Amino acid sequence: MTKDILVLGGGIAGIQSSLDLAEMGFKVHLVESLPSIGGKMAQLDKTFPTNDCAI
Amino acid sequence: MLDVGRHPNIKLLAYSELERLEGDAGNFTATIRRKARYVDEDKCTGCGACAQVCPTPVLDLYNEGHAERKAIYSWFAQGIPSTHAIDPDHCRVLNGKKCGICQKKCEAGAIDFDQTDVIIDLPVAAVVVATGYDVFDPSRMPEYRYNQLDNVITAMEFERFLSASGPTAGHIYRPSDRKVTATIAELEKKVKKSQKALDRFEKTHGKKSDEFYAAYTDGSLKPGEDLEKDQDKWAKRVEAHLENANPLAVLKEKAKGFTTAKKIAFIQCVGSRDLRFYPFCSGYCCMHSIKEAIIAHEHDNDTHTVIFGMDIRAVGKGFEEYKIRGGNNSNISYKRSRVAEITRNPDECPVLIYEDTREQKIQRQAFDLVVLATACGPVKGAQKIADTLGIDLDRFGFFKTDPSNPLDTSRDGIYVCGCAHSPMDIPESVAQASSAAARAAQTVIKKNDQKAS
Amino acid sequence: MNTHTLTPYEAPRIGVFVCDCGSNIAGHLDCPDVAEYAKTLPHVVYVKENLYTCSEAGIGEIKKAITEQNLTRVVVASCSPRTHQPLFSSSCAEVGLNPYLFEMVNIRDQCSWVHMGTRDAATQKAKELICMGVAKSAGLEALNEIESSLIRKILVIGGGIAGLSAAQALGDMGLDVILVEKTASLGGLLQQVHQLDSGVMAKEALSQIIDDVRSQSNITCYTSATVTETGGYIGNYDVKIETQTGLVEEQVGCMVVATGAVPLIPEGILGYDGRQVISLMQLEQLLQRDKLDAKRVVFIQCAGARTPEREYCSRICCMIGVKNAMLIKDKYPLTDVRVLYRDMQMYGTHKEQMLWDARGKGIRFDVYTPDNPPEVENGKVTFFQAVTGKTQELDADLVVLSTPLVPRNDSGKLANMLRVPTDQNGFFLEAHAKLRPLDFAADGIFVCGSGRYPATSTEARTQGIGVASRVAAILFKEKLVKSAIVAQINPDACVGCMACLPMCPYEAITYNRDKRICEVNEVLCKGCGNCAATCPSHSAMLRGFKPQQLLAQIGAA
Ligand SMILES: Cc1cc2nc3c(=O)[nH]c(=O)nc-3n(C[C@H](O)[C@H](O)[C@H](O)COP(=O)(O)OP(=O)(O)OC[C@H]3O[C@@H](n4cnc5c(N)ncnc54)[C@H](O)[C@@H]3O)c2cc1C
Ligand SMILES: Cc1cc2nc3c(=O)[nH]c(=O)nc-3n(C[C@H](O)[C@H](O)[C@H](O)COP(=O)(O)OP(=O)(O)OC[C@H]3O[C@@H](n4cnc5c(N)ncnc54)[C@H](O)[C@@H]3O)c2cc1C
Ligand code: SF4
Ligand code: SF4
Ligand code: SF4
Ligand code: SF4
Ligand code: SF4
Repeated sequence: MTKDILVLGGGIAGIQSSLDLAEMGFKVHLVESLPSIGGKMAQLDKTFPTNDCAI
Repeated sequence: MLDVGRHPNIKLLAYSELERLEGDAGNFTATIRRKARYVDEDKCTGCGACAQVCPTPVLDLYNEGHAERKAIYSWFAQGIPSTHAIDPDHCRVLNGKKCGICQKKCEAGAIDFDQTDVIIDLPVAAVVVATGYDVFDPSRMPEYRYNQLDNVITAMEFERFLSASGPTAGHIYRPSDRKVTATIAELEKKVKKSQKALDRFEKTHGKKSDEFYAAYTDGSLKPGEDLEKDQDKWAKRVEAHLENANPLAVLKEKAKGFTTAKKIAFIQCVGSRDLRFYPFCSGYCCMHSIKEAIIAHEHDNDTHTVIFGMDIRAVGKGFEEYKIRGGNNSNISYKRSRVAEITRNPDECPVLIYEDTREQKIQRQAFDLVVLATACGPVKGAQKIADTLGIDLDRFGFFKTDPSNPLDTSRDGIYVCGCAHSPMDIPESVAQASSAAARAAQTVIKKNDQKAS
Repeated sequence: MNTHTLTPYEAPRIGVFVCDCGSNIAGHLDCPDVAEYAKTLPHVVYVKENLYTCSEAGIGEIKKAITEQNLTRVVVASCSPRTHQPLFSSSCAEVGLNPYLFEMVNIRDQCSWVHMGTRDAATQKAKELICMGVAKSAGLEALNEIESSLIRKILVIGGGIAGLSAAQALGDMGLDVILVEKTASLGGLLQQVHQLDSGVMAKEALSQIIDDVRSQSNITCYTSATVTETGGYIGNYDVKIETQTGLVEEQVGCMVVATGAVPLIPEGILGYDGRQVISLMQLEQLLQRDKLDAKRVVFIQCAGARTPEREYCSRICCMIGVKNAMLIKDKYPLTDVRVLYRDMQMYGTHKEQMLWDARGKGIRFDVYTPDNPPEVENGKVTFFQAVTGKTQELDADLVVLSTPLVPRNDSGKLANMLRVPTDQNGFFLEAHAKLRPLDFAADGIFVCGSGRYPATSTEARTQGIGVASRVAAILFKEKLVKSAIVAQINPDACVGCMACLPMCPYEAITYNRDKRICEVNEVLCKGCGNCAATCPSHSAMLRGFKPQQLLAQIGAA
């Protein structure tokens, strides 16, 4: 039986889910439809509430 | 973000799509289509040499269409993976024409026009859906004239303008002015070329083109042998030259008055809290308008902004304080009003027409730039994703969950987080992403335990 | 792992990577010139300018150079070590260079950002910083990461919906949990709530989870209990719990704070008397007992919130006000229900829908502004109505004040015991407001629910489950591995003056009475260097920042 997990979408939500699962020791397949991950957050200049850079 | 690309437990399948999901929680088989990049992932170093030489410009959607990229590209400079991809809709070779310049340039030998899509089957025990959202298309709201007015833009476009690596390198130039500047650049190129042609005549005949042309048109030209032969040709060239040079001079004069946008309006709830479109609230857009106004003010302390909204929803930790600080330190004023219409004045300035609830009268106010806080809607293709996964959508079009089990979709073993769940900001998305991860982990552990016992 | 330890006879081979950061750096200083300059520095055998050093391509260049050029030191001149050091040093490790032989120079924040517009000055400063970084790197030593064991048990403090959800999720993941609740019963604030906005009765929703938690054999619940003492560090905390049956001592690997918040009792606000003018929570109880008797009800939002003394918005009271306004209207359709508000905080899909529904049921909403707040007197509410420009007077049999959730008055005490911070409002302060909402800055301690910031029960539950994921990411590992950049106190030189002891913000230093010297706990130490800066006998120093290394750096300036 497999312990792998599929994460669909590589925005901040998919990235955080993948990292948590990977740190727990699960193998994650992260599927993103665009050529790179990052989602909308990668398009943002700086983000509230901390106003630091998005990436 | 880079951690994801490097984590030994994460296999990154970018430029890929889920085609099918079969089986049950603990025992799914996911069929993934890895779309052809026409660039070998193992060979490409992401150096970008190919994109520099590619002759085919394509509108850059990462920059919301305000810049160009090439037919071979990376989605954005720091993108993960950095492997380039060829856009099959625009590449010359992939559309039956001659080119292949990038292939010659690539030292890694990574470019492969024969690459095809690859289908893979993955056994997985659980699925986390984090497909996010898409922003509302404001051209659906005729009263804001998004398509007609250059200086009415969306908040995402504004983000790109604010970005140091964006199309304006962080300066808030108005799109109408950028258009003029682009036309000037184009005309300058043409004028330079036509000037060269004139230079040749000038050299041969030892006369300035304008002197010649003045004499030519008023008939005072005293023809010499050579000039006789050339005069009509020369005159035609001069005319062709002036056709571009005259408007160029006019535009240049106009461009002298260009400054960055100093008076900016933000319009909230564009497409949201509106029964014609999305009835719901997007949760984060009040905050991103405040943020964008603060950053615009940081870039230029003369910037004044007005945020037009029904409510200012600043409900996260520290958000109300952020809003107040913005008002006090960044020349932001908040106006409770729903803007009825946008028109334009002769300076290309958008003019807002709204009812001032305090003063109780209809106001008209001109701004240099108007930013629309467009709604967060379900991701394009949400229905298809739902069908593929066999899960339900809620009445608003997001993946359906139950408030007492906020991460669980209607199918066992499939969890959802972030804006795929409902509109939310980054802190909420991050917290939810951890929760969805926990739910997925529980499923895997439980199903494996059942199997073992 | 360490293949390159410097022997005194071997000259270091230093590689320098200068990052353009797109135009963030290259736009403000002359990167090619800086790179040229770096080539002239002692022991530098390789220099490369990258467009984005942190990109995959940039990292690839570093790795390639380490192997091909046989580099024994790497210096990256780019942005902040805070964000990028881990990435670069672990990349070095991947190709066999001890990660502690990596040095970073910040030419973005310290040059291009502060010296925007003065290109020459920025370029010059970048050169100097690189010169210093290179000098320091030559003296760096290879270090090994510190490992320690992990106890796979978690202490959850607070048995409200957040704590219950965390315990349930952790239990479901096969970990052992100790749940400590101060009061006699589990459930927290929700026990006093009537019907949830989802339509489910709060009691029912709670009892389902409580039953499940109680039925799990790996969860131990202590009610009427408090945590009285905590010590130790991530992976190995010692905790003392005072329970009904006596003191219990436990060892746990991680701790979760889920102590919630309490609704403000609006003493002295808007004519509050607890009878005709009541709080939202009192209304919940009236509804629970079916004791409501009023023909005209006026809700006033932000009672005691969003004021100069309590600036924050409590996030949930608008929704709770609307929920109850609708419950009243549903049950007693002839009742006149009005809501006076400043901003209706009905964010998201479901809450905004509630607002549409509430208007559809005939509930009236009117805006007031803080400079012109409503007044409540003798069964009348007067307020300035902005849309008509008139002052309105409403008769009210019942006025409901929507008050915010405020931190518990003992949360400061708990924060002190756990050595975690609170924010200016008294809520627990997470590690990063955006990217680490559930972690404390101290490793191994987490936060969820209203104790962090007011949350609906759904949000509190989500956060509770999320914490389980953060915890499991630590406790599912074999052992704990942490950075070797920690303080060292030379036992021979230490005079036992204890000057360093109070300087350590992580309480990593203890005084050893037998040896009469101070000692550093390597797992607790975060490498801040405060002790090294204080120690009068120079016996405390930070590995990777030893005086001789720093002197080399300063000497180069
Ligand atoms: C203009 C603007 C400014 C903002 N500013 C801020 C801010 O300052 N602070 C803040 O907290 N929030 C801000 N936000 C909100 C923020 O963007 C979201 O909270 C956040 O991006 C949500 O992340 P996500 O991962 O859920 O979704 P997304 O970022 O949308 O990511 C979803 C990913 O899934 C991929 N995907 C979609 N469909 C599929 C499919 N079928 N298969 C595979 N992959 C798929 C997408 O390509 C994308 O990469 C802003 C939003 C906007 C519009
Ligand atoms: C009037 C009102 C109506 C509401 N209605 C709704 C609604 O309809 N829908 C909805 O979603 N939400 C509603 N809520 C919100 C809901 O109550 C909160 O979301 C929820 O209580 C938060 O849970 P929590 O676990 O974070 O905190 P709490 O519920 O506050 O639980 C914290 C627990 O920790 C314990 N504790 C505190 N300190 C210590 C300590 N030092 N040691 C040990 N234990 C300790 C407390 O005794 C308590 O049991 C309402 C809130 C109010 C005030
Ligand atoms: S395809 Fe070749 S030229 Fe293009 S980025 Fe990749 S390695 Fe460089
Ligand atoms: S082959 Fe296609 S991608 Fe390559 S250079 Fe030509 S147009 Fe661009
Ligand atoms: S967050 Fe603000 S702008 Fe966005 S939909 Fe909600 S109320 Fe409108
Ligand atoms: S949620 Fe509503 S009532 Fe509560 S503080 Fe915020 S604005 Fe005021
Ligand atoms: S370096 Fe900082 S954290 Fe470590 S012992 Fe010294 S003062 Fe404490």
